[in-house]
Amino acid sequence: MLKSTGIPNEKDLESVIPPKERLAKGPVAIIECFEKIPCNPCYTHCARGAIKEFEDINDRPQLNYDICNGCSICVSHCPGLAIFIVDETYSDTEALVKIPYELLPLPVEGSFVTGMDRGGKPICRAKVVKVQNPKFQDKTPIISLAVPKELSMVVRFLSLEDYYSDSTIICRCEEVTLGEVRELIRKGYKTVEEIKRISRCGMGPCQGRTCQQLIMEEIAKATGERIEDIKVHNYRPPILPIKLGRINGGEKNE
Amino acid sequence: MRIESHPILTFEKGKIVKFTYNGKEMEGYEGEPIAAALHAQGIKVLGYTHHRNRPRGFYCAIGNCSSCLMVVNGKPNVRTCVEKLTEGAVVETQKGRGELK
Amino acid sequence: MIKTDIVVIGGGPAGICAAINAASSGAKVLLLDRDSQLGGQLIKQTHMFFGSQKQHASVRGIDIPGILVKEMEEYKDNIQIMLDATVLGIYEDGVLTIEKNDDYIKIKPKGIIVATGASEKFPAFPNNDLPGIYGAGAVQTLMNVYGVSPGKSVFMVGAGNIGLIVSYQLVQAGVEVKGVICRGPRYGGYAVHASKLKRIGVPIMPGHRVIHAHGKDKLERITLIKLDENKKEISGTEFDIETDVLCISTGLTPLGELLWQMGCEMKFIREFSGHVPVRNEELETTVPGVFVAGDVAGIEEASSAMVEGRLAGLCCAKKLGFTNPEYSSLKEDYLQQLHDLRSGPVGDGIRKGLAKIVV
Repeated sequence: MLKSTGIPNEKDLESVIPPKERLAKGPVAIIECFEKIPCNPCYTHCARGAIKEFEDINDRPQLNYDICNGCSICVSHCPGLAIFIVDETYSDTEALVKIPYELLPLPVEGSFVTGMDRGGKPICRAKVVKVQNPKFQDKTPIISLAVPKELSMVVRFLSLEDYYSDSTIICRCEEVTLGEVRELIRKGYKTVEEIKRISRCGMGPCQGRTCQQLIMEEIAKATGERIEDIKVHNYRPPILPIKLGRINGGEKNE
Repeated sequence: MRIESHPILTFEKGKIVKFTYNGKEMEGYEGEPIAAALHAQGIKVLGYTHHRNRPRGFYCAIGNCSSCLMVVNGKPNVRTCVEKLTEGAVVETQKGRGELK
Repeated sequence: MIKTDIVVIGGGPAGICAAINAASSGAKVLLLDRDSQLGGQLIKQTHMFFGSQKQHASVRGIDIPGILVKEMEEYKDNIQIMLDATVLGIYEDGVLTIEKNDDYIKIKPKGIIVATGASEKFPAFPNNDLPGIYGAGAVQTLMNVYGVSPGKSVFMVGAGNIGLIVSYQLVQAGVEVKGVICRGPRYGGYAVHASKLKRIGVPIMPGHRVIHAHGKDKLERITLIKLDENKKEISGTEFDIETDVLCISTGLTPLGELLWQMGCEMKFIREFSGHVPVRNEELETTVPGVFVAGDVAGIEEASSAMVEGRLAGLCCAKKLGFTNPEYSSLKEDYLQQLHDLRSGPVGDGIRKGLAKIVV
């Protein structure tokens, strides 16, 4: 519930997300303003007239997706910082999400940050493509992030902490890093089983209990598969460490 | 603690002045409220109350609530949240209602 | 004794606008403020304002005093500004007494516009008086006006617009905000403010109350309890949070002492958070020639305070015989702006309150 959690639900979002066909055409504003409050600068600042004239100052903004070209003027003029630009044509696999960001320090163009969702949860690694901070934006810089395409409607903030840095440890037992796992996926190893066999992730004392889900998430991000559809690795005995001598001796009365 | 960088604001500060707090020499910016200069040094307790001897800090910081009374240059009951810091000010914790000298 | 047509008490958004409109109508105006600069609480509002262009929407609060002062300069022959001047009282003969830099000054105006604003409420719980427990306005003043950080971490009590906005400003100033609570199951401020905080990672926790503060000489820790849908405490749900600052944002209450002194009829209006003066549509109180504008007339947003100021200035001048050539169209415009700002769901309470107090 938006008014208890601060997070809009799917139904709220449905009313502001343009149809797929429009998203496939290029950048467009996503106006996440769900409450009737006395406020209209988005309408008065839109030079293209893409936002319908307010009959009452308490109206919610109504965007004409065909007139909006995603220019982002409204983003820095929205007092609620509730407008984002999404460009799903950025690349084959990535979308560009433009986010108003009023904190210091500003991210650096070309660096990697962590894409956060509407609840402030880290969700993906994101490249900072552009930092726009001209005078007319009056200290509301706009950060363009390249994020995996399927997260274009999920990422709405960023943290400078790189939660998804290549040096992050994924497998504690065998000390395999996220960078190594990513490299394997890039080379074409796209199942948990393959990655396990080549990197030893999941072959240490914990037998994959800590790393398996992280690897599944990483594969899902790279391939676009749903995490539900990704196969786990094979489970073989013993599932926890045991002295070889115990097995060697066999059962007592054997 | 002073805020060194801010995404929206730039702070125009007066010149650095010296003052004493309970005899200890300190520095602050001329013209800022005494309570702000003390808070920047981590000092939150400005006085103690008359009846129950309870510690007092500021509450409103705009001169409404009179919770920030201190003895300044020998004068008691000065609202330090709005009283401007000057060079050489002698600032002391106020105990109770203060005494007129 | 200083004599003038109109005294405006308070140089915040309502007072400055009142002075501009009274002066532009031809009255001689004396604008008083106890601070050493004009702007009232605008000088600490780093966020962009809501409303429409007429109320400077999308401009940061800190930049609005500059715009208004520039507008005031057009009428500088009619406006005198007295800063660092605290009004101490108003007497039966219509004389105001003022303290300014240890001087005692008397003023006798023909009309008075009271725009004294509001003060912060103070919730009752054990140890609520410990240093480190500050009003939200105090925290804003300290960090946004004087550049001093209020502490290492802050816990916010109250999730109306002020609580949500100050929490965001604290994060901007580099302070950790450990959480924002309110008693009801829903926060009271605008959803956009809550969403902004949420994605920055600040927990919003409706249904909680502070029941105890702990610390020897200053705040170290607070105890919270969960509340059910009806704001009743659920026993056994108490838990502690360590924090060196507790920021209180449980609302404002109108500062109407001077109106009481003048004998204005006052009524306690729940929707306006305290006693406010009975007045007519033009904002004139039951004492002829005494007008009100802004939070002292009922707690609202700065946008409506500015419009109220303009309306009160225009009408107070008219009352004294200074009729603006565009009086009728201006008045209609201001009433329309106020109507628009208050017409939506967030204006429900304000409309209810007005229905009880406007005669």
